[in-house]
Amino acid sequence: MAGAPASLDSRWFDGRSPKPHAVTLRVEAGELLMQVGEAETRRYPLAGVRWPERRTHGQRQAELPDGGLIQHADAAAWDAWAQACGLQDSAVVGWMQSWRATLMALAGSVVFLAAAWLWGVPWLSQTLAHQVPDSLDRHVGEQSLQQLDRLFLRPSQLPQKQQDELRQRFASAVERAYPQGDAPHWELAFHASPVLGANAFALPGGFMVMTDELVLLLKDQPDALVGVLAHELGHVAQRDGLDMVVRASLISALVGVVLGDASGFLATVPATLATQAYSRDTERRADAHAARVLHAAGIPPSAMAVFFERMLAEADSDGPSKDDEEDRVSLPIAIGSHPDHAERIRFFREWRGEDSSR
Amino acid sequence: MAQQDDFAPTVALADEPATAQALDIRFTGSGSEYFRIWIVNLLLTLVTFTLYAPFARARRIAYFQNNTLVGGDPLGFHADPWKMFRGYLLMLLLGVGYWAVSNFLPGLAWIALLVFMVLWPALWRASLQFRLRNTSWRGVRLSFAGDLKSAYSAMLPFFLPALAFVLFLPEVTEDEEMSTEAARFSAIVFGTVVLGFSLLMPWLLARLKRYQHGGYVFAEQRTAFRTGTGRFYGLFLKTGGVSLLVAAVAAALFALVMFVLARGMFTDMAAGQRRVLVTLLVPVALGVIYLLIPLVSAPYFGARFQDLLWNGTRSEKIRFNSALRFRSLFRVTLVNWLLIVVTLGLYWPFAKVRTARLKLEAMSLAVDGRVDDWLASAQQAGKGVLGDAAGDFFGMDMGL
Repeated sequence: MAGAPASLDSRWFDGRSPKPHAVTLRVEAGELLMQVGEAETRRYPLAGVRWPERRTHGQRQAELPDGGLIQHADAAAWDAWAQACGLQDSAVVGWMQSWRATLMALAGSVVFLAAAWLWGVPWLSQTLAHQVPDSLDRHVGEQSLQQLDRLFLRPSQLPQKQQDELRQRFASAVERAYPQGDAPHWELAFHASPVLGANAFALPGGFMVMTDELVLLLKDQPDALVGVLAHELGHVAQRDGLDMVVRASLISALVGVVLGDASGFLATVPATLATQAYSRDTERRADAHAARVLHAAGIPPSAMAVFFERMLAEADSDGPSKDDEEDRVSLPIAIGSHPDHAERIRFFREWRGEDSSR
Repeated sequence: MAQQDDFAPTVALADEPATAQALDIRFTGSGSEYFRIWIVNLLLTLVTFTLYAPFARARRIAYFQNNTLVGGDPLGFHADPWKMFRGYLLMLLLGVGYWAVSNFLPGLAWIALLVFMVLWPALWRASLQFRLRNTSWRGVRLSFAGDLKSAYSAMLPFFLPALAFVLFLPEVTEDEEMSTEAARFSAIVFGTVVLGFSLLMPWLLARLKRYQHGGYVFAEQRTAFRTGTGRFYGLFLKTGGVSLLVAAVAAALFALVMFVLARGMFTDMAAGQRRVLVTLLVPVALGVIYLLIPLVSAPYFGARFQDLLWNGTRSEKIRFNSALRFRSLFRVTLVNWLLIVVTLGLYWPFAKVRTARLKLEAMSLAVDGRVDDWLASAQQAGKGVLGDAAGDFFGMDMGL
């Protein structure tokens, strides 16, 4: 606080009327002295005044504790006066005035977002998903199963004996893969589903569904069916269902923070991309789980290759044409959530037990 | 829908001579300065796991309001960020609760919806009050005078579709399996609700705006909103027409291109290649049309809606005038989006400033008499801390 009594002629509003008053401002001994007209001088402790943040553009407004407002049009003159009076900017304000600091903040934001994307979001969603109590997990699974049941699933046409056999086969594979009996809880149901076609999926709570269509597609390959179920059990073990819900929400929250009030469409793009990228990871991990279970059950993981080959053939025959090879080009811009089939076939063919510690 | 942001003009007025006097609005914010504010705010918000968000928001609103000059005097923004912080925490709690219920306990979603319905109109009103009470012009605080009952009657109809789904659709869930009849029934319910709601939408929006724009107070002037509901219907129809027109023109152009291609290079191609090309081009064309429609219709609606709103808003001594043109808003929007894409989003704050400048400077006020002689009405005591955060969290703080 320099002794030089720098003063500033400014305008003051009393907060009750829009009429401006000419005032003279001074800072003295930790107080703001505002001289109104000839006679009156008002005093305010400096800490009680809400000072404006320094910026290049715009006028300066200082709020007084009694509801009055000092308004100064000449920003540069105000800043010079404030500096002469020893009034300090907050650190954040200085930061925003410097381009170098801003660029560092930009770099910091990018690093933070990248780290959140790579590690933060997966870690947080895994942790949260595993924190959810089993009962709630089951409840969520039951709810979505009911919904799917209503919309897409029909009662299975498979003979009970065939269902039981498959269930038994899978159960013994799981038993051997989890010798300590620590396998995640699972329940397997068979359903006909013209809508879904040959398919299998797992829901939270360990509810696994395999369609009749898939069983028929692989009726001579029960090992591949066990492999598909082991893949689904992988999703159950990793709690991928809940995991994805949490991830999608975290990503939209991040996008919301970055863009603030971006329009809906713009905000959905990164969220969708992220979900796709993440779900490719979960498929890979579920594949690895399937390979381990098969291996432990004494089935060569390459048995799974048949599954992908038949699915491919199925997709082709469903397509509008199957006359020539060229039609099988996959659109390069299409973003599939399942890793490329060829890549997955190779994965199962070349699987060599990695660390058998599980 | 209405992408009318925080920076949409709140309200303001005027000066000296005893006759009607025009006050223009100027916006002095700059993109490069807002860019720095945005980036620093962003970093602080990220590293504090969004806890800094209310402080960032206060600074952002203050920047835009302080740079909005009405008749040469800027608007002030005086909210205490710590109050906004408390509100933000509460909203965070509500939001996470709502999210958890709808994701994990969908069976209880109707309770969450009910709670939301009961709270939301009050929060919305509190948010308007908070925002206006903390906005000043020439040292005089604005206020919002709409009452609670009208807030509910204006806002609740917007929950009707959700309520209708909750009430009518569960009856179907009792069935073991969805019969064709049940499926048809839910399709009918769904269709009726959607159709009915789109028919009612302009009317509902008009009610909402009548409430909102009929509650702004400066000194002893309280605004009223006098635009008829018919004009809302007119605007919706025209916007629909514009969207159709864009789609039709784009589709025609695409068909033309395909035709030319078919005559030219297609003949030299193998059947397979041709099919590949078509399967590639059709989704691209659909995507382009999908992007093109909002690119034209959003600025069209945005410009006309702002004019509709503010030209219909007036008090005894204050008249608002808005002359925002579709052409200018379209040009700015187009350039903004292009540059945002090219700069990977870094142009965002510049775009924000440009749009705000265009929208604000299209407006002006006409005031009767000497503003200097007006007196502030007694300040209300209510302190709706919660409200402001509610607006931001659910993106409702715009000029909906």
